[in-house]
Amino acid sequence: MIVDGTPFDHRPDPLMGAALRRALAADGHAAFVTRVVARAEEWTSGSWDAVLARWARVGVAAAAVIVVLTAGYLLRPGAAIASPSLSVADAVLSQPGDAQGIVTAVLGN
Amino acid sequence: MPRDPQLPGEAARIASETDADLVARTLGGDSDAFGVLVERYTPSVRRVARAVLGDQDDADDAAQDGLLAALVKLRQYDARRPFGPWLMRVVANAATDRRRRRRVRRAEALDPNVVAPGRAPDAETERRALGRRLREALARLPERRRLAVVLFDVEGYSHAEIGHILGIPEGTVRSEVFHARRALRELLGDWKEEE
Repeated sequence: MIVDGTPFDHRPDPLMGAALRRALAADGHAAFVTRVVARAEEWTSGSWDAVLARWARVGVAAAAVIVVLTAGYLLRPGAAIASPSLSVADAVLSQPGDAQGIVTAVLGN
Repeated sequence: MPRDPQLPGEAARIASETDADLVARTLGGDSDAFGVLVERYTPSVRRVARAVLGDQDDADDAAQDGLLAALVKLRQYDARRPFGPWLMRVVANAATDRRRRRRVRRAEALDPNVVAPGRAPDAETERRALGRRLREALARLPERRRLAVVLFDVEGYSHAEIGHILGIPEGTVRSEVFHARRALRELLGDWKEEE
Protein backbone atom coordinates (compact mmCIF):
# COMPACT_ATOMS: atom_id res chain seq x y z
CA MET A 1 0.00 0.00 0.00
CA ILE A 2 1.14 3.53 -0.62
CA VAL A 3 2.64 4.86 2.56
CA ASP A 4 1.11 7.75 4.41
CA GLY A 5 3.15 10.89 4.13
CA THR A 6 3.32 13.96 6.29
CA PRO A 7 4.51 17.45 5.44
CA PHE A 8 7.64 16.61 7.44
CA ASP A 9 8.39 13.40 5.58
CA HIS A 10 10.93 14.52 3.03
CA ARG A 11 11.90 11.09 1.84
CA PRO A 12 10.75 9.78 -1.53
CA ASP A 13 7.85 7.36 -1.31
CA PRO A 14 9.11 4.28 -3.16
CA LEU A 15 5.71 2.66 -3.61
CA MET A 16 4.08 5.82 -4.87
CA GLY A 17 7.09 6.34 -7.10
CA ALA A 18 6.92 2.81 -8.51
CA ALA A 19 3.20 3.08 -9.19
CA LEU A 20 3.58 6.45 -10.91
CA ARG A 21 6.57 5.20 -12.88
CA ARG A 22 4.49 2.33 -14.25
CA ALA A 23 1.55 4.64 -14.96
CA LEU A 24 3.72 7.05 -16.95
CA ALA A 25 5.86 4.44 -18.66
CA ALA A 26 5.97 4.39 -22.44
CA ASP A 27 7.12 1.76 -24.90
CA GLY A 28 9.53 2.19 -27.76
CA HIS A 29 12.36 4.16 -26.22
CA ALA A 30 14.74 3.05 -28.98
CA ALA A 31 12.43 4.32 -31.72
CA PHE A 32 12.01 7.58 -29.86
CA VAL A 33 15.78 8.04 -29.51
CA THR A 34 16.27 7.29 -33.21
CA ARG A 35 13.64 9.85 -34.14
CA VAL A 36 15.08 12.60 -31.94
CA VAL A 37 18.67 12.01 -33.05
CA ALA A 38 17.63 11.98 -36.71
CA ARG A 39 15.79 15.23 -36.21
CA ALA A 40 18.77 16.76 -34.46
CA GLU A 41 21.06 15.74 -37.31
CA GLU A 42 18.63 17.24 -39.82
CA TRP A 43 18.86 20.44 -37.87
CA THR A 44 22.60 20.55 -37.50
CA SER A 45 23.50 19.36 -40.99
CA GLY A 46 20.62 21.20 -42.59
CA SER A 47 21.46 24.46 -40.98
CA TRP A 48 24.44 25.20 -43.26
CA ASP A 49 22.45 24.22 -46.33
CA ALA A 50 19.63 26.42 -45.19
CA VAL A 51 21.95 29.37 -44.60
CA LEU A 52 23.62 28.93 -47.98
CA ALA A 53 20.30 28.53 -49.73
CA ARG A 54 18.99 31.67 -48.06
CA TRP A 55 22.06 33.65 -49.08
CA ALA A 56 21.90 32.21 -52.59
CA ARG A 57 18.32 33.37 -52.96
CA VAL A 58 19.27 36.83 -51.72
CA GLY A 59 22.22 36.94 -54.11
CA VAL A 60 20.15 35.96 -57.14
CA ALA A 61 17.51 38.53 -56.27
CA ALA A 62 20.12 41.26 -55.82
CA ALA A 63 21.77 40.40 -59.15
CA ALA A 64 18.42 40.49 -60.91
CA VAL A 65 17.66 43.92 -59.44
CA ILE A 66 21.06 45.23 -60.57
CA VAL A 67 20.54 43.89 -64.11
CA VAL A 68 17.09 45.46 -64.34
CA LEU A 69 18.29 48.82 -63.03
CA THR A 70 21.30 48.86 -65.34
CA ALA A 71 19.19 47.92 -68.34
CA GLY A 72 16.66 50.57 -67.43
CA TYR A 73 19.35 53.18 -67.14
CA LEU A 74 21.00 52.30 -70.44
CA LEU A 75 17.77 51.92 -72.39
CA ARG A 76 15.99 54.95 -71.01
CA PRO A 77 14.24 57.02 -73.73
CA GLY A 78 16.46 60.11 -73.51
CA ALA A 79 19.73 58.25 -73.36
CA ALA A 80 22.13 59.27 -76.11
CA ILE A 81 23.77 56.46 -77.97
CA ALA A 82 27.44 56.95 -77.55
CA SER A 83 29.29 57.30 -80.79
CA PRO A 84 32.87 56.25 -80.56
CA SER A 85 35.26 58.95 -81.59
CA LEU A 86 37.50 58.23 -84.51
CA SER A 87 40.83 56.87 -83.48
CA VAL A 88 44.05 58.07 -85.05
CA ALA A 89 44.67 54.70 -86.64
CA ASP A 90 41.15 54.59 -88.09
CA ALA A 91 41.61 58.06 -89.55
CA VAL A 92 44.94 57.15 -91.11
CA LEU A 93 43.77 53.83 -92.49
CA SER A 94 40.39 54.98 -93.74
CA GLN A 95 41.47 58.18 -95.39
CA PRO A 96 45.08 57.94 -96.36
CA GLY A 97 46.38 61.26 -97.42
CA ASP A 98 43.67 63.25 -95.64
CA ALA A 99 45.89 65.39 -93.43
CA GLN A 100 43.00 67.42 -92.08
CA GLY A 101 41.28 64.24 -90.91
CA ILE A 102 44.41 62.97 -89.20
CA VAL A 103 44.99 66.27 -87.40
CA THR A 104 41.38 66.36 -86.30
CA ALA A 105 41.66 62.83 -84.97
CA VAL A 106 44.90 63.56 -83.09
CA LEU A 107 43.53 66.72 -81.54
CA GLY A 108 40.25 65.01 -80.70
CA ASN A 109 41.99 62.23 -78.75
CA MET B 1 25.25 14.05 -42.44
CA PRO B 2 26.47 10.48 -42.75
CA ARG B 3 27.63 8.90 -39.54
CA ASP B 4 30.59 6.66 -39.37
CA PRO B 5 29.80 3.25 -37.99
CA GLN B 6 30.99 3.11 -34.43
CA LEU B 7 32.98 0.32 -32.89
CA PRO B 8 31.24 -1.36 -29.95
CA GLY B 9 34.09 -0.44 -27.62
CA GLU B 10 33.91 3.19 -28.64
CA ALA B 11 30.16 3.23 -28.09
CA ALA B 12 30.59 1.73 -24.64
CA ARG B 13 33.25 4.27 -23.80
CA ILE B 14 31.04 7.17 -24.83
CA ALA B 15 28.11 5.68 -22.92
CA SER B 16 30.17 5.66 -19.72
CA GLU B 17 31.10 9.33 -19.98
CA THR B 18 29.67 11.89 -17.61
CA ASP B 19 26.90 14.22 -18.69
CA ALA B 20 29.29 17.16 -18.63
CA ASP B 21 31.72 15.36 -20.94
CA LEU B 22 28.93 14.45 -23.32
CA VAL B 23 27.69 18.02 -23.34
CA ALA B 24 31.19 19.25 -24.14
CA ARG B 25 31.50 16.75 -26.97
CA THR B 26 28.09 17.68 -28.30
CA LEU B 27 29.09 21.32 -28.33
CA GLY B 28 32.15 20.26 -30.26
CA GLY B 29 29.94 18.82 -32.99
CA ASP B 30 29.88 15.16 -31.90
CA SER B 31 26.37 13.99 -32.73
CA ASP B 32 27.01 10.58 -31.17
CA ALA B 33 27.50 12.25 -27.81
CA PHE B 34 24.15 13.97 -28.13
CA GLY B 35 22.62 10.60 -29.00
CA VAL B 36 23.97 9.12 -25.79
CA LEU B 37 22.51 12.00 -23.78
CA VAL B 38 19.14 11.51 -25.46
CA GLU B 39 19.25 7.79 -24.78
CA ARG B 40 20.23 8.36 -21.18
CA TYR B 41 17.40 10.75 -20.44
CA THR B 42 14.67 9.44 -22.73
CA PRO B 43 12.69 7.49 -20.09
CA SER B 44 12.69 10.48 -17.73
CA VAL B 45 11.81 13.14 -20.26
CA ARG B 46 8.99 11.02 -21.68
CA ARG B 47 7.55 10.44 -18.19
CA VAL B 48 7.79 14.10 -17.25
CA ALA B 49 6.19 15.20 -20.53
CA ARG B 50 3.43 12.65 -20.04
CA ALA B 51 2.84 13.90 -16.51
CA VAL B 52 2.14 17.32 -18.00
CA LEU B 53 0.20 16.31 -21.11
CA GLY B 54 -1.41 12.97 -20.33
CA ASP B 55 -1.58 11.81 -23.93
CA GLN B 56 1.49 9.79 -24.92
CA ASP B 57 1.75 11.07 -28.49
CA ASP B 58 1.58 14.67 -27.33
CA ALA B 59 4.07 13.85 -24.62
CA ASP B 60 6.52 12.37 -27.12
CA ASP B 61 6.23 15.43 -29.34
CA ALA B 62 6.86 17.65 -26.34
CA ALA B 63 9.76 15.49 -25.18
CA GLN B 64 11.29 15.78 -28.64
CA ASP B 65 10.72 19.53 -28.65
CA GLY B 66 12.38 19.74 -25.26
CA LEU B 67 15.41 17.69 -26.27
CA LEU B 68 15.93 19.71 -29.44
CA ALA B 69 15.47 22.94 -27.51
CA ALA B 70 18.10 21.71 -25.08
CA LEU B 71 20.44 21.06 -27.99
CA VAL B 72 19.93 24.61 -29.25
CA LYS B 73 20.42 26.10 -25.77
CA LEU B 74 23.25 23.81 -24.77
CA ARG B 75 25.77 26.65 -24.55
CA GLN B 76 23.62 28.17 -21.81
CA TYR B 77 24.06 25.08 -19.61
CA ASP B 78 26.43 25.62 -16.69
CA ALA B 79 28.57 22.47 -16.60
CA ARG B 80 29.29 22.99 -12.89
CA ARG B 81 25.68 22.07 -12.13
CA PRO B 82 23.92 18.74 -12.71
CA PHE B 83 22.65 18.32 -16.23
CA GLY B 84 19.43 16.44 -15.36
CA PRO B 85 17.57 19.28 -13.62
CA TRP B 86 18.58 21.71 -16.37
CA LEU B 87 17.28 19.34 -19.03
CA MET B 88 14.09 18.64 -17.07
CA ARG B 89 13.42 22.34 -16.84
CA VAL B 90 13.70 22.70 -20.61
CA VAL B 91 11.50 19.65 -21.19
CA ALA B 92 8.90 20.70 -18.62
CA ASN B 93 8.71 24.13 -20.27
CA ALA B 94 8.31 22.52 -23.69
CA ALA B 95 5.51 20.32 -22.38
CA THR B 96 3.79 23.25 -20.69
CA ASP B 97 4.03 25.33 -23.87
CA ARG B 98 2.52 22.51 -25.88
CA ARG B 99 -0.29 22.06 -23.36
CA ARG B 100 -1.09 25.77 -23.56
CA ARG B 101 -1.16 25.65 -27.35
CA ARG B 102 -3.43 22.70 -27.70
CA ARG B 103 -7.06 22.57 -26.79
CA VAL B 104 -7.91 20.66 -23.68
CA ARG B 105 -8.50 17.08 -24.61
CA ARG B 106 -11.20 15.00 -23.15
CA ALA B 107 -9.93 13.11 -20.16
CA GLU B 108 -9.21 9.46 -20.74
CA ALA B 109 -12.32 7.56 -19.82
CA LEU B 110 -11.91 4.91 -17.22
CA ASP B 111 -13.04 1.52 -18.41
CA PRO B 112 -15.53 0.44 -15.75
CA ASN B 113 -15.07 -3.22 -16.59
CA VAL B 114 -11.45 -3.06 -15.70
CA VAL B 115 -11.83 -1.72 -12.20
CA ALA B 116 -15.31 -2.85 -11.30
CA PRO B 117 -15.46 -4.08 -7.72
CA GLY B 118 -16.17 -7.72 -7.15
CA ARG B 119 -14.07 -8.89 -10.04
CA ALA B 120 -10.88 -10.80 -9.68
CA PRO B 121 -8.68 -9.45 -12.45
CA ASP B 122 -5.28 -10.90 -12.99
CA ALA B 123 -2.21 -9.00 -11.90
CA GLU B 124 -1.51 -7.48 -15.32
CA THR B 125 -5.08 -6.26 -15.72
CA GLU B 126 -5.00 -4.74 -12.29
CA ARG B 127 -1.67 -3.07 -13.00
CA ARG B 128 -3.10 -1.53 -16.14
CA ALA B 129 -6.16 -0.40 -14.24
CA LEU B 130 -4.02 1.20 -11.59
CA GLY B 131 -2.00 2.97 -14.25
CA ARG B 132 -5.13 4.45 -15.78
CA ARG B 133 -6.47 5.49 -12.40
CA LEU B 134 -3.18 7.09 -11.49
CA ARG B 135 -3.02 9.01 -14.77
CA GLU B 136 -6.54 10.23 -14.20
CA ALA B 137 -5.72 11.18 -10.65
CA LEU B 138 -2.60 13.00 -11.79
CA ALA B 139 -4.57 14.85 -14.45
CA ARG B 140 -6.80 16.33 -11.77
CA LEU B 141 -3.87 17.86 -9.92
CA PRO B 142 -2.57 21.33 -10.71
CA GLU B 143 0.32 21.04 -13.14
CA ARG B 144 2.97 22.25 -10.73
CA ARG B 145 1.85 19.77 -8.07
CA ARG B 146 1.81 16.98 -10.61
CA LEU B 147 5.32 17.75 -11.75
CA ALA B 148 6.59 18.10 -8.20
CA VAL B 149 5.46 14.63 -7.14
CA VAL B 150 6.68 12.97 -10.33
CA LEU B 151 10.08 14.66 -10.18
CA PHE B 152 10.45 13.78 -6.50
CA ASP B 153 8.98 10.28 -6.16
CA VAL B 154 9.62 8.96 -9.68
CA GLU B 155 12.69 10.77 -10.96
CA GLY B 156 14.41 11.12 -7.61
CA TYR B 157 15.34 14.79 -7.75
CA SER B 158 15.83 16.69 -4.52
CA HIS B 159 13.49 19.43 -3.38
CA ALA B 160 16.16 22.00 -4.20
CA GLU B 161 16.61 20.63 -7.71
CA ILE B 162 12.85 20.56 -8.28
CA GLY B 163 12.70 24.13 -7.05
CA HIS B 164 15.23 25.01 -9.74
CA ILE B 165 13.32 23.06 -12.39
CA LEU B 166 9.96 24.61 -11.57
CA GLY B 167 11.28 28.02 -10.56
CA ILE B 168 9.72 27.90 -7.09
CA PRO B 169 11.14 27.96 -3.54
CA GLU B 170 12.21 24.68 -1.99
CA GLY B 171 9.59 24.98 0.75
CA THR B 172 6.88 25.28 -1.87
CA VAL B 173 8.16 22.09 -3.50
CA ARG B 174 7.83 20.22 -0.19
CA SER B 175 4.31 21.49 0.19
CA GLU B 176 3.39 20.56 -3.39
CA VAL B 177 4.74 17.03 -3.00
CA PHE B 178 2.86 16.55 0.22
CA HIS B 179 -0.43 17.81 -1.20
CA ALA B 180 0.02 15.79 -4.37
CA ARG B 181 0.57 12.57 -2.44
CA ARG B 182 -2.44 13.22 -0.26
CA ALA B 183 -4.63 14.00 -3.25
CA LEU B 184 -3.45 10.91 -5.11
CA ARG B 185 -4.20 8.71 -2.15
CA GLU B 186 -7.66 10.21 -1.85
CA LEU B 187 -8.35 9.91 -5.55
CA LEU B 188 -7.18 6.34 -5.60
CA GLY B 189 -9.52 5.55 -2.77
CA ASP B 190 -9.02 2.23 -1.18
CA TRP B 191 -6.73 0.82 -3.82
CA LYS B 192 -4.04 -1.40 -2.41
CA GLU B 193 -1.13 -2.68 -4.30
CA GLU B 194 -1.17 -6.45 -4.44
CA GLU B 195 2.42 -7.14 -5.10
